[in-house]
Amino acid sequence: MGISNYQMSSVISLLPEVGLLVLAGVVLTMDVLLKDDRKHLIAVTTAVGSLLIILAALMYSQPSGDLIWGGMVRDDMLAFVFRLAFIFAGGITAMFSIGSKELAHRGDYYAIMLGAVIGMCFMASAADLIMLYLAIETTGIAGYLLAGYVRTDDRSAEAGLKYFLFGAATSAVMLYGFSLLYGLTGETNLGAIAPILASGTVSVSAICAIVVLILVGVGFKIAIVPFHFWAPDVYEGAPSPVTGFISTASKTAGFAVLLRVFIYGLAASEYWLPAMAGLAAVTMTFGNLVALAQTNIKRLLAYSSVAHAGYVLVAFVAYSELGVASAIFYLIAYVVTNLAAFGVVIVFAHTAGTDDIQQYAGMSRRSPYLALAMLVAFLSLAGMPPLAGFFAKFYVFAAAVKADMIWLAFVGVLNAIVGLYYYLVVLKVVYVSPAPDGVGSIDIPATCKIALVVLSLGIILIGTASSPWFNWAMKAAQDLF
Amino acid sequence: MLPNIPELVIFLVLAVIAVAAALGMLASSNAIYSALFLVVNFGVVATFYLLLGAPFIAMAQVTVYAGAIMVLFLFVIMLLGAEQMKPTSHNLLWQKPLSIVLIILLLSISFYVVLGQGVSTGSDLMQNTSGYGSPSAIGTLLFQKYLFPFEATSILLLAAMVGAVVLTGVRKQRRRIRKSRRL
Repeated sequence: MGISNYQMSSVISLLPEVGLLVLAGVVLTMDVLLKDDRKHLIAVTTAVGSLLIILAALMYSQPSGDLIWGGMVRDDMLAFVFRLAFIFAGGITAMFSIGSKELAHRGDYYAIMLGAVIGMCFMASAADLIMLYLAIETTGIAGYLLAGYVRTDDRSAEAGLKYFLFGAATSAVMLYGFSLLYGLTGETNLGAIAPILASGTVSVSAICAIVVLILVGVGFKIAIVPFHFWAPDVYEGAPSPVTGFISTASKTAGFAVLLRVFIYGLAASEYWLPAMAGLAAVTMTFGNLVALAQTNIKRLLAYSSVAHAGYVLVAFVAYSELGVASAIFYLIAYVVTNLAAFGVVIVFAHTAGTDDIQQYAGMSRRSPYLALAMLVAFLSLAGMPPLAGFFAKFYVFAAAVKADMIWLAFVGVLNAIVGLYYYLVVLKVVYVSPAPDGVGSIDIPATCKIALVVLSLGIILIGTASSPWFNWAMKAAQDLF
Repeated sequence: MLPNIPELVIFLVLAVIAVAAALGMLASSNAIYSALFLVVNFGVVATFYLLLGAPFIAMAQVTVYAGAIMVLFLFVIMLLGAEQMKPTSHNLLWQKPLSIVLIILLLSISFYVVLGQGVSTGSDLMQNTSGYGSPSAIGTLLFQKYLFPFEATSILLLAAMVGAVVLTGVRKQRRRIRKSRRL
């Protein structure tokens, strides 16, 4: 392993991360130099910078599919797709943060968020246990800070602490799983671990223990039952832009790790598939049933995001190229759709100062366009054609049926109907219920307006022209098999 | 193979100091003294690592544990004024019998393992892999194979540092909110 192994192409493939780091530095410097009344420029810089990084990555750092940096990261299509999704989510979150009075003018907030994005990018590309753990911790620590960012608000502080305690405990358990994996195989590289496990020298019970331990850490990140307890409280207490960011980007990063570790690293040991299928069914059902009873929009979205993790798990247990591709497609659609949903929540709370669903009554009269964005986002979450969510669910269930898991697809379809009900209840409040007296129109900050337009168009575009996106996901999935 | 005599003497002397320091840490009622006893213990353990031929771990022990963590300990003790606190043993009565049971359990397990498997001096391990764990070997690994995670750590630390500054700076945040309310 000589120095000559580090070529220029390895550096170029890191272009997005380097760009994000530079952007974080620029943002921190702007925070010091700019006067208070011009600090909204920081958010704009973060968003524009993210866009430029995405364009630069598309132009210059197309993945080569190799293991680089001494086997620490794998520069493949899977990582590339996920990394672009994270940077996109980061940029959109920065634009929405203008709608939050506590966050809008704080440069350090944007810098930490960019740090979290870098961590997620590493999570998606890490191919070595050491790198993987480091990436998960980078994302985690930045996430805990973001959740507890508004120290003057007790609920935010509580969310930060709760997120931190759960995160630290589960990541310690996962680290134990990693250490067992290293101890029994003598390798930290996932690509080198797979053939050793396939040779059958490691006992089945040991592999089961490893799977369970690692699943605790990953399950926390993606918030599946029974590792979801933190989600509703953290989602409710954290500032709304952060909630949107954690529920989309952080969850997707967890799934990237799940795909990489379980399909690329633990490939030879498929004992966990039936158990995962059970978890998927329980997660979908639990998330949707509990969401029915929620009166706070952020808690409702929290439980709905638990249910969505269940749908992605269905695609995952299909355990095929089609399954992984549909999981990736679902995650992309979910990131765009859920960010739009949280964008509406942020903008509404910006004027109304509340997250109570009853207060959304008559929102369509107060701001028709905001209500329209909410309609698009919620119908896509519910899986109505021709929006992104419909095709995402369609591919997921198709993958399950193809893998002879018809019962799981059936449970999923039933759950989609339950989901449709509570999303429609919210939309009924927005469109049918009369607005309370004495409330004016809703003021939408300019950056939030742009972000909502981009996301709504994205939802429609992914839905109506789904095949290029799906081909992309399919190419990414091929890297794992 | 028997360990050579001077090494054995050094080990025995240090072992007595280590155990005495550990006991002193537990027994002393002043938190500062406890912390200083712990420093002595850390230093002796670092010397053990040197005797075992692991200079890197010895240096890490001194810088990280005896250095950084102990300074942190002392700061916390000073800031809390914990050295003047009265011991609050009345609500911990049940812990004493429990601790005795646990000590007996631990000792019997260690005796069982030591007697059952015999003590390995560790010398065969060292002979097989000379240079293993030396500072230069670790440095080479760190800056070649693990260069990337090593650099990635800096991002983690940067985010944590900014966050620590933010979370401790509540007063400034409150002031800013008051100002914006006035406007």
